[in-house]
Amino acid sequence: MKTTTPDQVEIRLPRRAEFVRVARMAACAVASQLDFTYDVVKDVELAVGEACANAVEHVAEEGCNEILVRFGIDPTQLTIEVLDRGQGFDPNEAGGGREQDWDDPGGLGLGLVVIRELMDDMVIECDEATGTCVRMVKYRSR
Amino acid sequence: MTTPLKIASRTEGKDTAILSLTGEVDVANAGRVRDAGLKLISDGIKHLIIDLSPTDYMDSTGLGTLVGLHKRLVESEGELIVAGPQPRVERLFEITGLTQVFRIFDDVDAALKEVRG
Repeated sequence: MKTTTPDQVEIRLPRRAEFVRVARMAACAVASQLDFTYDVVKDVELAVGEACANAVEHVAEEGCNEILVRFGIDPTQLTIEVLDRGQGFDPNEAGGGREQDWDDPGGLGLGLVVIRELMDDMVIECDEATGTCVRMVKYRSR
Repeated sequence: MTTPLKIASRTEGKDTAILSLTGEVDVANAGRVRDAGLKLISDGIKHLIIDLSPTDYMDSTGLGTLVGLHKRLVESEGELIVAGPQPRVERLFEITGLTQVFRIFDDVDAALKEVRG
């Protein structure tokens, strides 16, 4: 884990399922440093796990072998970005959750439903040049 | 590196089984749950009780796996029943609306009692 500024923490992970747990552990460690309750810390952990699982399960592009997880900490909020180099997906189509193909064990729609419920804000940005970014925010002392 | 998960199964009568998931069910190991469930279904199990009392963490991949198993069981006039989820795991079922899909009981004994009628 590398601290790039006093208020940012970044980790780079191989885009493989077994490393999602590392991102979750980092999320717990960062959120625990802030004024969040235990339940909120666990919510942040699950949301980060879902975003990383999404990157692992639903990004199939060649050469996309890494996930970047960036935690931004300021006095008002914790912002977490999960970035990959994949072409992404249509969040409008994927976000419904309950209309998904239930045989899909990745559960893309379910994962997004979970993130939206657990975090205060979520935005998905898909860009051919830079890849996909899931940006999540949890407000502090709210 | 693997996510810790212990899977244990036992049968009750001809067509009922309990699958206990101890530890964490996530994207790295949900396939093991799927394989264990499919094996029981292929052996003729119609009522599959998933004991989540020892499950500390589950993500949507784990949920999707349970839904897939439930679909297969329903096709053979069976069902997947959830037993004893811890509050955080139970909340995940509520968030995703899956409390409308699965019957959820406080523990395995209550689920078995329901299955036996």
